[in-house]
Amino acid sequence: MTNLPLWLIPLFPLIGTIALAAISLASSGSKKGPSEGLTGGLAVLFPALAFVAVVAFAANMPVEGIQQTLCNWMDIGSFRADIGFLFDPLSRIMLLFVTGIGTLIAIYSLGYMHGDRGFARFFAYINLFLFSMIVLVLSDSLLLTFLGWEGVGLCSYLLIGFWNADLNNCKAANKAFIVNRVGDIGFILGMLCLAMVSGDLLNYAGLNAFLKDAANVEVIKLLLPIFSLAGILFFVGCTGKSAQIPLLTWLPDAMAGPTPVSALIHAATMVTSGVYLMARLSNLFVLIPGVMTIVVFVGLLTAFWAAIAGLFQNDIKKVLAYSTISQLGYMFMAAGVAAFDASIFHVFTHAFFKAALFLGAGAVIHSLAGEQDMRRMGGLLKKTPVTACVMIFAFFAIIGFPGFAGFWSKDLILERLYTFGDVGPIYYGIALLTAIITAIYMGRLIILTFFGKFRGGEELEKHVHEAPASMLVPMVVLAVGAVFSGYMWADMLGMTCFRDMLAPVVGSAQEAFRAAEVHVNPMMLACLGTAAAVIGMVIAWIAYGGNKHIPAPRVAYPSDGVQATTWTLFFDYVHAIFILLVNVLAWIVDKCVNQLVMFVQWIIGAIAVLLGDFASGFQVRKVRLQLCLSLVGVVVLTALVFIYGGII
Amino acid sequence: MLALVYFIILAVIAVGAALCVLLSKHPLYGALSLIVSMLSLAGIYGLLGSPFIGVVQVMVYAGAIMMLLTFVIMVLNSAKDGNTPRFDKVSLFVFPAVIALAGLLGFALVSVPFGFNAEAVRGSVAFTSSTLFNVEEGSRGYFILFEAIGVLLLSAMAAAILMAKRRIGYTASEKEEN
Amino acid sequence: MELQAIYVQILALVLFSIGILTAISRRNMFFVLMGVELALNAVNLSFIGFSKTFAGDLSVAGQIVPLFTIAVAAAEACVGLAMVILIFRNQESVDTDNYSGMKG
Repeated sequence: MTNLPLWLIPLFPLIGTIALAAISLASSGSKKGPSEGLTGGLAVLFPALAFVAVVAFAANMPVEGIQQTLCNWMDIGSFRADIGFLFDPLSRIMLLFVTGIGTLIAIYSLGYMHGDRGFARFFAYINLFLFSMIVLVLSDSLLLTFLGWEGVGLCSYLLIGFWNADLNNCKAANKAFIVNRVGDIGFILGMLCLAMVSGDLLNYAGLNAFLKDAANVEVIKLLLPIFSLAGILFFVGCTGKSAQIPLLTWLPDAMAGPTPVSALIHAATMVTSGVYLMARLSNLFVLIPGVMTIVVFVGLLTAFWAAIAGLFQNDIKKVLAYSTISQLGYMFMAAGVAAFDASIFHVFTHAFFKAALFLGAGAVIHSLAGEQDMRRMGGLLKKTPVTACVMIFAFFAIIGFPGFAGFWSKDLILERLYTFGDVGPIYYGIALLTAIITAIYMGRLIILTFFGKFRGGEELEKHVHEAPASMLVPMVVLAVGAVFSGYMWADMLGMTCFRDMLAPVVGSAQEAFRAAEVHVNPMMLACLGTAAAVIGMVIAWIAYGGNKHIPAPRVAYPSDGVQATTWTLFFDYVHAIFILLVNVLAWIVDKCVNQLVMFVQWIIGAIAVLLGDFASGFQVRKVRLQLCLSLVGVVVLTALVFIYGGII
Repeated sequence: MLALVYFIILAVIAVGAALCVLLSKHPLYGALSLIVSMLSLAGIYGLLGSPFIGVVQVMVYAGAIMMLLTFVIMVLNSAKDGNTPRFDKVSLFVFPAVIALAGLLGFALVSVPFGFNAEAVRGSVAFTSSTLFNVEEGSRGYFILFEAIGVLLLSAMAAAILMAKRRIGYTASEKEEN
Repeated sequence: MELQAIYVQILALVLFSIGILTAISRRNMFFVLMGVELALNAVNLSFIGFSKTFAGDLSVAGQIVPLFTIAVAAAEACVGLAMVILIFRNQESVDTDNYSGMKG
């Protein structure tokens, strides 16, 4: 099995994309659209095949990983880039859940997108996304990773604006795309920084070899400023893709897309690619402690801020969006204290429970015929029991209730934070506070949605129904994952297979950075973490539980409180200030520089007009006469050269 | 000595035919004179020791190109256009200009001494074609140029057909009208 | 008296001048085309004449290049005549002065 070529994995979704795009284009003329059976079958088949391929590779992977070069990409003298793939423990983990969850969500989408006119188009995008994501994760060089990075950005844009008849969706898509561009510029400049040192550094193997080579110690010391710059720039790229401060505002708006998209792209996979990049470049990042501190602070701030913002959302998907941002903040915290394996572990568990939450939210929205406002939900526990159970399991996972997946990963991150040097306890305190707030707003979501009385009105109440089986099965599978995936690395129970798997990739970097490991009683930290979850739940129950009066939406739903639902805790305002500054700058440039340029332009124009008028006196309509004159000109010039040996 | 005699005969024919082109009234006469000029040039090529080019000259120039030109002249019935004078006022400027250019070039030619090289390769048919189509290692690679010229000719042909067609999509629109 | 290389060049120069004269001073479109062909021929002749003044490789190149010139001239004539037909159809005239769309 191991002699299969690695490019098979991205090939499957690519074939799927092409086939579905062909179907979508071919059927664009007809009113009814293509057959959903055929389209859906293809749409699920190719991700599933990719998943099978990944499993086959994962089962037979040698310890050091597989590296294969498909072909040469570009070769321009001093710089050479190949299209190569690297299948190592890190990309194995990422690929397993990317393709696995991708397949599940494709199945879910069959039910969710049923009857939509853009059925084939949707799945073409999903397959394209999976292709890009696989390229991102599987590539063996930063350049190819960047290709995938841009590809997932494009798919994110296409899918957020999937229902492009609504202008708001298009605006949200534009926002996501443009904010991501800012991050991508960071990525490109970071690559340039590395390429400035040597073209080989763009290759992961080359980079690691360069950084680890003892002979290079002095050189590395000299190059540290460049590496610091590269690290900051790469981190800017990560903040764009993973919605960290200051580039976080696009993710809540990205919820305009269909819910499976939110689950797949904006919760489980794409947004975690920033964390993946941090882990990939772990050897680079551990060299630059200053940047790592920035990473921790950004992670802490983002997690806390997004958690607070999540408290005030009424849109069920927006709550989840903020919780995603907050969880990503946790992952960056862990990466910032060089606990790369813990952060990847949280990516892994988070993918399960957040996907389950989103799919559950999608099922709720589906059953309520598009209603997304939590104030108009309630009491759905009896009407949609399976969805409710899935959501509640995932809820326990995300708040870190003992035994569930989130408990293990979040606890691990908290522990790593606590044991990180002198400032560790401060980090730990903030993170724990964030955990309490997480429990509060997630508790609020569950209580408002599933408990109490239904507040959506009689008419809607009759409509409520459980989702079809094609949606329920993936949800249940994910819920099982949300419960049990944590046991891959249950530190207290002595199960550490996840850490052992990742050790070849990030182990050495971590050891280099976290030299002095402080030993603490893990039980104490676990108890505190559990206490945080329980306290949060209790607060949520007191505040929102029972049949408390929930303030009804002020206005009818669609135009409801723009302030409240799009409230991103001032970040849009911060951006607005930046935009204002840029506008002022643009105005100055427009008024001063542009006028100056216009003036020069005018003078040159005037000279040209004068000259032209002057010359047009010579102009004759006879082409032949002009040819004749040019002949004379040639003769005169040649004669001059002959006589004087040159014009001057 | 004999070569010089032949050369003078052929050169006189070529220049005379060229002057006929310049002076003839009807384009058809001009075209026929041009063919004569080209045939005599082919003879000069042979005389100079490049018979292959002479052959190609006869086949392509005198044969194909001039045939095409003659054909087009005959197809366009008002090609003669008696209203157009042979020479007009512009020609008065052209003659001195061209004569000045020719004088200059002639001066340049005369001022640099050069003569025939006895070791020059004779461009016989066998030698020229084997050089042209030599695809072996270390060849001069003329065959690539030859292929490129083939593509150029093909595209020129396609362009000519497209341009000379009455109107693209004419028949289709006609059908729609009916 | 033997045949000299300079004679060939003089003949080429004369033919070239006549060609240019025809191309510029005649107003009939066909004469313009024929003049261009004549000038091209003169250039070929000059090429071969000069190729005989070199030895070995250079002489070979000088005899191969005219072949390609002839081929390109064929392409040029092909497109040029198609354009003549096209313009003639629009203007009903072969007078080049009538084609002038440039207004000064």
